[in-house]
Amino acid sequence: MRKMLLVAVLAGAVGAAVSMYVTRTTTSGQTTRPARVEGRPNFSGIWQANNEAHWDLQAHEARAGAVTQEGAYPFEYARVAAAPVVALGAAGGVPASLGVVQGDGQIPYTAEALAIRKANAENWIDRDPELKCYLPGIPRAMYMPYPFEITQSTNKIHFGYAFAVTARTVHLDEVDPPPAETWMGHSVGRWDGDTLVVTVSDFNDKTWFDRAGNFHSEALTLTERFTLITPDVIDYEVTIEDPKVFTRPWTIAMPLYRRLEPNMQLLEYRCTDIAEEFMYGNLRRKPLVTRWEGETMIVDITRKVPPGDRFYEWFRK
Amino acid sequence: MGARVPKLLAGVIVVAVAVVIVVAVVTRGQEAGPLTTPWGEPDLQGIWTTEFDTPLQRAARFGTRELYTEEERVQLDQERAELLGRDRRVERGSELDVAGAYGSVFMSMKRTGRRTSLVVDPPNGRLPDVTPEQRERAAADRAFRIDLLRSTQTCKSGSTACAGGTYDATPSPRREEALARYNTARMNRHFSPEDGSLGDRCLSGGLPGFGGAYGGNFRRIVQTPGGVSIFYDIDQGQAFQRNIVMNGRPHLPATVRQWFGDSRGRWEGDTLVIDVTNFSPKWDYMGARENLHLIEKWRRTGPVTLEYEVTVEDPTVWTRPWTMREEFTRQNEKENRIYYEPRCHEGNYGFPSLLLSARLAEKAYAEGKGPHPATKDNATDFVGVEDNPLAR
Repeated sequence: MRKMLLVAVLAGAVGAAVSMYVTRTTTSGQTTRPARVEGRPNFSGIWQANNEAHWDLQAHEARAGAVTQEGAYPFEYARVAAAPVVALGAAGGVPASLGVVQGDGQIPYTAEALAIRKANAENWIDRDPELKCYLPGIPRAMYMPYPFEITQSTNKIHFGYAFAVTARTVHLDEVDPPPAETWMGHSVGRWDGDTLVVTVSDFNDKTWFDRAGNFHSEALTLTERFTLITPDVIDYEVTIEDPKVFTRPWTIAMPLYRRLEPNMQLLEYRCTDIAEEFMYGNLRRKPLVTRWEGETMIVDITRKVPPGDRFYEWFRK
Repeated sequence: MGARVPKLLAGVIVVAVAVVIVVAVVTRGQEAGPLTTPWGEPDLQGIWTTEFDTPLQRAARFGTRELYTEEERVQLDQERAELLGRDRRVERGSELDVAGAYGSVFMSMKRTGRRTSLVVDPPNGRLPDVTPEQRERAAADRAFRIDLLRSTQTCKSGSTACAGGTYDATPSPRREEALARYNTARMNRHFSPEDGSLGDRCLSGGLPGFGGAYGGNFRRIVQTPGGVSIFYDIDQGQAFQRNIVMNGRPHLPATVRQWFGDSRGRWEGDTLVIDVTNFSPKWDYMGARENLHLIEKWRRTGPVTLEYEVTVEDPTVWTRPWTMREEFTRQNEKENRIYYEPRCHEGNYGFPSLLLSARLAEKAYAEGKGPHPATKDNATDFVGVEDNPLAR
């Protein structure tokens, strides 16, 4: 019986191998893989967005930091870096972007929601769930500055994310809804020709879209569209609906790029313990940061210059 | 409302038909799946769980016998059922009773499985001897933790949690010591987040992935030609995912360490063999850390079953490699019997509370308003865990 099974497996493997190599194969990413899986475009592999959407979905100019304060001038454009990021210098600034919001580039908030979004931005450090390593939610996990891996089967597609070592399953077959609301959503997929269309629902109201305070309620539903425009680039488009927060549906779009390094593999970013000092550092018996007032955060930083530092001495001359 | 009844009825009929068709092999919640993927690789896909309790080590009376008889399973289930609901709490109002409030209601108990132990090699089903260096390391670690308890009621009352230690009203000077290795377990000190156990910090889920008495014991496997990914919900609210690297490349450089290791897989006939190394020194599996090496073997043994075997190796901890084996059953896909969002960290109010209460106790003591913090036990739980018939 085992022998028969093995023969069947081998026969199947040979058949599959033949059908694999008549189509285009790609050796990039993890493994040599067929261009199609059971007749559908094969999205398997490691991907990553390469843009500034994780900072702000909307068009924005460069600024001095994710948290800024008034400097010598009262103008918005003249703000300078504030305490929590000042130690990072130019590495702590926010790069400019043309944005990924389609159409007029505006996120159609209701007046009430717009005020919340503004307060979110002002209280970014205390409010952004990313800083605490909470589950990132969708679509945010798709364009955070971390890679993710797609494993595409016939009835399920697995998305594994480096950030928080989390995942979601896209169900292509019939499935019951989740028992409760979720951070990562409930993803149900279907094929529209060669485009994978995923409806995501059953969210909670705790995840954000970016580091600019863009947010949603538990009424959020997404329609994601994945289309391969070359073997190594996905055109990724998401329509966002949430009648409690937005006056109409709106859409973001961006390319997702295959990670082409021959030795590429998804490495974990298990940030639970990485975020501990941020979340609980004030509760140490001997705090490493000597002044810390969370909600909203005030951090005192003492700059310690190593004795004899030649650049410091040179500047002081 | 009127339309709903026929719909319900139709549902019942569909279920009834389904039951008639698959009743011979599948019980409720399970679902058969194909043994081969459409592209010809062995098919390990689906949601898998273990529906039974199996002790890690075999009770001596079973010798080298791997499986219980049906009579033995019935007998063991009876003995275990009698323990359900039994009050195992320690004296009411005592410090230790706070932890004891996690009663048998909180713990899940499943039926006794076929296996007399997860350990199948050594053939006696027992863990091999640990190395002298590991024995020394473990003894030193235990002595330190006991010393942190020495001024507490736990030691004064002669609790088993203080075994090997003696009560001393003067707090241990060792309280200020740093541990020789990264802490992973509870201790009676909460100076910093790193003093917390991996469980309290929502960092305890990991490999090998058999699951435990608390929370989930689920894993979903999804395959693509040449690729395998696994999502785990196997511990109290701690999930993770792994992508098995199947391209034949060597392991990660030794400088790159991961909580869930580095998984390199290959097919050997109908078996997926995964070699896992590069574990982080922050991860601890029964004393094994960065030298932990796992060889996992995943193999379908029937339409609803998947055998998981893992050989554990660490020459700095055990005198020989040893192997565990367990059979998982395939769960209904439509019911989606896995919880994807164990949110331990997202809802972890307990851990900052532990740290904060430690700071408040220190402050109260400094102001002469409270006892020395070292005289209070904030580490011990589950004392008085009942005797387990599976371990007898």
